Amino acid sequence: MRYWKRSLVGAMVMAGLSAWTMVDDPVPTGPYPFHYPASFGSRFTIPADNPTTREGVYLGRMLFYEPRLSSTQTISCASCHQQARAFTDGLALSVGVHGKTTRRNSMSLTNLLWVHQLFWDGRSTSLEEQALVPLGHTDEMGSKPGEAAKALQKTKPYPTLFKQVFGSDTITDVRISKALAQFERTLISADSRYDQYAAGHYQLTESEQRGMQLFNRSPSPEQGVRGGNCAHCHGGAKLYQELFHNNGLDKQATDSGRQAITGLALDQGRFRVPTLRNIALTAPYMHDGRFSSLEKVLDHYSEHIQPSPMLAPELAGQPNGFQLTPGEKTDLVSFLRLFTDSTFIHNPQFANPH
Amino acid sequence: MKNINAQRVGCWSLLIVCLLTGLTSQAQTVLTVTGEVTKPLTLQAADLKAMAHTQVTGKDRDGKEHQYAGILVVDLLKQAGATVGGELRGENLTKYVIVKAIDGYEVLFALPELDADFASRSIILADSVDGAPLGSGVGPYRIVVPGEKKPARWIREVKSIEVRFAK
Repeated sequence: MRYWKRSLVGAMVMAGLSAWTMVDDPVPTGPYPFHYPASFGSRFTIPADNPTTREGVYLGRMLFYEPRLSSTQTISCASCHQQARAFTDGLALSVGVHGKTTRRNSMSLTNLLWVHQLFWDGRSTSLEEQALVPLGHTDEMGSKPGEAAKALQKTKPYPTLFKQVFGSDTITDVRISKALAQFERTLISADSRYDQYAAGHYQLTESEQRGMQLFNRSPSPEQGVRGGNCAHCHGGAKLYQELFHNNGLDKQATDSGRQAITGLALDQGRFRVPTLRNIALTAPYMHDGRFSSLEKVLDHYSEHIQPSPMLAPELAGQPNGFQLTPGEKTDLVSFLRLFTDSTFIHNPQFANPH
Repeated sequence: MKNINAQRVGCWSLLIVCLLTGLTSQAQTVLTVTGEVTKPLTLQAADLKAMAHTQVTGKDRDGKEHQYAGILVVDLLKQAGATVGGELRGENLTKYVIVKAIDGYEVLFALPELDADFASRSIILADSVDGAPLGSGVGPYRIVVPGEKKPARWIREVKSIEVRFAK
């Protein structure tokens, strides 16, 4: 706890100093080499017009922590995506430049290289497109088109950096989003204790072992098999499947979710199945941040799933919920805590460079 | 009096909503067939209903045999001008089909798996099971692969079929 407080104070001091932007001399250059486990696979596409370069990632990181991107010059991407919290902000809903809250919970930025449809409702098909949304949204960074680019153009270091990355010192919103996307692609988490276990370098405790069984197994009362079937949607090396589902939070969804994007009635109240990487660090949970703890999330799946025609079939198949015992919930939580990647949250390459 | 008015307004808005949803659902695209095809298809429920239906028997997750009816996937591919039948040779044998569901689930078939000259089983886009429309979370359309031991490719809520070249 004391550690967190100290880093918070540190972060605030750093934010105060951010007007003094320092630039490394020389800025690293050349193609950016991605490192990730073979089990993650290479099912990703980097846009041909925005290849990942060391200089691009360098600039993207500066911009990620740059409050001058917001209309009030007070909020950066990192305000709602803090590294220590696996790039979330600890709030149910985030607070934008005008003090109003956002519509949905700030999402963890982890292994985005592999995500094809971004946001809770999957509306953006590239990180480049995604980054422009919070930049311009009145309840987030609130910048009018071109406003942030204009503010950066007047600074000392940025025109030179943009020239190094894009070949000309003209700063545009699109170039800002391209650099941010490059940095975000590098936010790879692959060194949690769960990864170490998968690589044969960590031995599970008995409770973690039981939790893993519950996580992976589908319940089968006839055969006396207990299970939470979590892996059906949150399984695989990256701990998510790219799916959109209604997980029974409400009988009648208060937020139409993916339906607003696709126009399909079947999509009502469906949201992204989030990755469980660093899940113990990213409370509160769900698209509206309604659950303050992992225990409350498990209580939901265990006892409070609300039926509706849109409810995910795997959950509808459990009309009374998964009915986990207190001991099983404890085991599951201890397993979920294995997904915390301290290398990731302390990686100096992802920290505030200002 | 106020209450009655409110009720009336409620009834009217409900009626309007019903009419609107009725209209939009009638005109709504339910399936696309795209990719390496000469005539991409954008199909509505009525188009699919009008196509020739085939019956197959298959074992679902419940372990029981069910009668499924639907359109042969190869018929959809033919209609879209994909290289099936006599054209399925040479480099066309490196083509595959990605089937996507509304929830984002995706499965793959090699093109010859779907072609009657190659495969002895008939893979269909089912719209009914045991004479009834497919239920919520499953329908309106689901791929059925008779004889496949694990029904993981029996993808539910199908929304698109895309033919691609392996590169």
